[in-house]
Amino acid sequence: MTLDPKLLARLGPFPVRARKVMEGVLTGLHQSRAYGQSVEFMEHKEYAPGDEIKNIDWRAYAKLDKYYVKRFEMETNLRALLVVDASGSMAYGRGPLTKLSYSAICAGALAYLLSKQGDQVGLVIAGDPDPSSTERLPAGVRSFLPFGASALHVQELLQRLDTAQGRGPTLLAKALDFAAEKAGRRALVIVLSDLFDATERTAPALKMLRGRRHDVLLLQVLDREELDFPFDDPTRFLSMEDDRQVEAQPRQIRESYLEELGKFLDGTRRDLARADVEVEQIATDDPPDRVLLRLLARRGGG
Amino acid sequence: MGFAHPLYLWGLGAMALPIIVHLLNQRQPRPLAFGAIEFVLRSQRQKSRRLRLRQILLLALRCLLIAAVALALARPSIKPKGTQAAVASGPQATVLVLDASLSMRYRIGSTTLFSRARTEALAALDRLGPDEPAGVQLCYQGAPAQAPAPSFDRLAARRALQEAEPTYLGSDLTACLAAAARALGESPVKGKRIIAFSDLAAHSIRLDALPPLVPSAPAAGSTTPGPGVRPSIVLVDAAQGRELPNTAITGVLVRPSAALGPRGYEVVATVANFSGAAVSALPVLLRIGAQTLAKGFVDVPARGSARKTLGAVLPAGVVTGRIELARDDAQGLDEDDGQDFTVHVPRDVKALIVDGAPSSLRSRDEAFFVEAALGPARTGGRIVAQTLDADAAAGNSLDGIDVVLLLNIPAPPRAFAERLRAAVTQRGLGLFIALGDHVDPDAYNDAFGDLLPRPLHLLKTAAEPGTLEAEEHAARFGAIDWTHPLFRIFASTEREGLESARTYRYALLKVDPAAQAKTLASYDDGAPALVEGRLGAGRVLLYTSTASQAWSDWPIRSSFLPVLQQAVSYLASALDEKVLQASLVGNERVLSPAPGLSLSSVADPDGKPAPLRREKADKAEVVLGPLLLPGLYKPLVQAPGAAAREEPDLFFVATLDARESDLRRVDESDLKAQLGGAGSAQVAASAQAAEGARGTPLWGGLLLLAALALLGEGALTRR
Repeated sequence: MTLDPKLLARLGPFPVRARKVMEGVLTGLHQSRAYGQSVEFMEHKEYAPGDEIKNIDWRAYAKLDKYYVKRFEMETNLRALLVVDASGSMAYGRGPLTKLSYSAICAGALAYLLSKQGDQVGLVIAGDPDPSSTERLPAGVRSFLPFGASALHVQELLQRLDTAQGRGPTLLAKALDFAAEKAGRRALVIVLSDLFDATERTAPALKMLRGRRHDVLLLQVLDREELDFPFDDPTRFLSMEDDRQVEAQPRQIRESYLEELGKFLDGTRRDLARADVEVEQIATDDPPDRVLLRLLARRGGG
Repeated sequence: MGFAHPLYLWGLGAMALPIIVHLLNQRQPRPLAFGAIEFVLRSQRQKSRRLRLRQILLLALRCLLIAAVALALARPSIKPKGTQAAVASGPQATVLVLDASLSMRYRIGSTTLFSRARTEALAALDRLGPDEPAGVQLCYQGAPAQAPAPSFDRLAARRALQEAEPTYLGSDLTACLAAAARALGESPVKGKRIIAFSDLAAHSIRLDALPPLVPSAPAAGSTTPGPGVRPSIVLVDAAQGRELPNTAITGVLVRPSAALGPRGYEVVATVANFSGAAVSALPVLLRIGAQTLAKGFVDVPARGSARKTLGAVLPAGVVTGRIELARDDAQGLDEDDGQDFTVHVPRDVKALIVDGAPSSLRSRDEAFFVEAALGPARTGGRIVAQTLDADAAAGNSLDGIDVVLLLNIPAPPRAFAERLRAAVTQRGLGLFIALGDHVDPDAYNDAFGDLLPRPLHLLKTAAEPGTLEAEEHAARFGAIDWTHPLFRIFASTEREGLESARTYRYALLKVDPAAQAKTLASYDDGAPALVEGRLGAGRVLLYTSTASQAWSDWPIRSSFLPVLQQAVSYLASALDEKVLQASLVGNERVLSPAPGLSLSSVADPDGKPAPLRREKADKAEVVLGPLLLPGLYKPLVQAPGAAAREEPDLFFVATLDARESDLRRVDESDLKAQLGGAGSAQVAASAQAAEGARGTPLWGGLLLLAALALLGEGALTRR
């Protein structure tokens, strides 16, 4: 089963959507549970030789006079930080989903997945600060949620993703600097952005992250219209991040536009690939579960 | 520019459509907030300039397309300037004015302006509507002031045009137009039109004249004519706007040239260049009959003139010659390239020298110096002198003798004096009297009477020649009339030769208040030296000293010889400038034959008799003219009872009006202004303009333009 973005858009509240995506992913993964060491108790199991003595539940022995071994959910050392670009350009999307909502769905699904695996997930929403926010955050970070794996944490995370609005200039580079700081030791940093950054500081920031031994995955989200430029009528193109505007006859500049865009996309991919930053370029009409599956499959079910 | 269907011009309003489309394209783009604006910007930066250019180009092409189609539908045609204004609707009485002046003979290639104009005029006549009366008027100087009224007799008008020939006369187009306007007044047709075919040379148009006016018929019950109507005037330029460069001989002056010997003449031709370019090495020929006597080359500056002097020795008598420009141009007025002239070359003079003191010693002979001066070696045979002593002369006949020189003769017998007197008064015999020792003043006064310009008084001796003080006391010439033919030949530097002469003895003359005598030279004491008197047809010169060395040393001076030669020629009337004044073609000439003769006829240059008119029955004067042809006119005279014969003394030449040679054209706007403004007058290069309605169609070209615009528009939008 695939989730068409059109269908997805019609699905109720945001957490439902994210969960649906996650479920799709899980179905595809034939996931098996993994047990491991964790603080979180899962079940008891009758002792058998070979089990760790330290895990014998002595209280149970006292009650039941049998050796039971406590089994804990496996504690992973994976910490994933989701960085979602909420700049103005991410609000673009005349289809069912804007780039930002698409990104949010993907991020939410990933958060679900990761938390299900027992990984800790954190969130950075990049963008100009929310005036109503009381958090003291550096420039370029609109919202920050530290690592956590609990269901509650994930709920909070989804809540923040849902309410994120695309506006203002791209401040992804600064957000990435902040993320590098917060990610601490080695972590997986998943960046969702269109990378339309007039300052062109994003790519170096990504490389810097990679340089700090973080595992960096960039999901470059683009709208289909941005990729194909299907306009016909004379149009005044307005910037979504600043007051730049330009009048153009799309038919006449299409060729040149596509060329420029292709140059940008190829350049970005090649540049970041060289720096060992994984780049996945996604159009918003791709079913997100497919995309995530593909991604996970490539990462070896990581 | 005119339109057959001007209503279609409203179609030009459709040009607003592409403009609106353009403005909509420009002003109303759909706004779209776009994420990837960066790339749009980058693309647009390259494209925008080309884009804008293309937009404008597209707009222009579309407008052009619509304009061309709309204009083509209106079927425009080009008409000569001003046509629109002067063409009135309805039938128009038309007078065709054909310039027939000399300048219309101007040749371009093998056709003349006149034949061009006539062709145009015939074509214009054919194009007249059946309800338009037409008249034909030839225009030249002296043309009838009243042109025939326009009529419907097309055949007559046609014939008049076909038979028209250019004249040699000047032109006054202004007067012709006025005459044509008056003729139009006789036509009842309301529209009035004059079509003039002319070279539009400035000389034929008077810009200060009033514009031509058609007198309107007097109102009913009134005799005073109403205010005039301005006719519409079409001036058809026979030269079609071309410059008409021309060179011409505008003047010929014939004068004797002493440097060329006896009967040597120089002919000074004035060559004018009426073009903007200088002419160099233009050959000028002097011809008598078929013979070319002299040839020269002349450079004439642009819009200027130059003089060329050609010398020739002419035969005696009335000589008719011609100065010609040997011009070999593709165009020009040929008629003014030559000009005839006549000159009266004096015949040989027969002189009789009466020697009053002959001597066997030549140098002591009284006539020695005179004979030497008049010898054939000195005069080139122009003067034939015969010497006789006083007695022989008294018995000799005076027939055939032009001048008698009496040198120191005693007072002659009465019979001889009477014969001299008769010859002088009736035949114009010239008499030269020099004095000497044989002269007794009182006897002289008795014998000659009024033959002497002034009676002799007594002899005065200023100094005895040969004595020491002779040089000092001798008389010198004082006042000399340098303007007189005798002395005119002396240039101012040569006058000293005359003033250095010394005279030791001379006769003093009595004062004779009645005498008309003129003193040509006098001594320094005021006593006359040379006195001229006239008696009847002849002249008498009295020299108060000797023509030998006896009383004066003048005869041995170099100045004596020319003065004596001049004196003999003068006395024989050979010096009289018989300038046969030329007449201008178009003018009249009064001929007055010698008494006793009557003018029977005058042969014009073609040999045909020219019309004569006698002003008064009792007078012999006859008026000839107006002269229509250039060239030599030969009057024939008749003595009572004798056959008619040519009278060379009355020969004259008619020359062309030099103004006609100047074909500089009148300024078109000045001309229009003179004719009453552009509203009523127009100048056109062709008679096609005359009917105005037709013109050069333009719509074919416009449609082509539209097709091209369509192609261009398609090519631009396709990309």
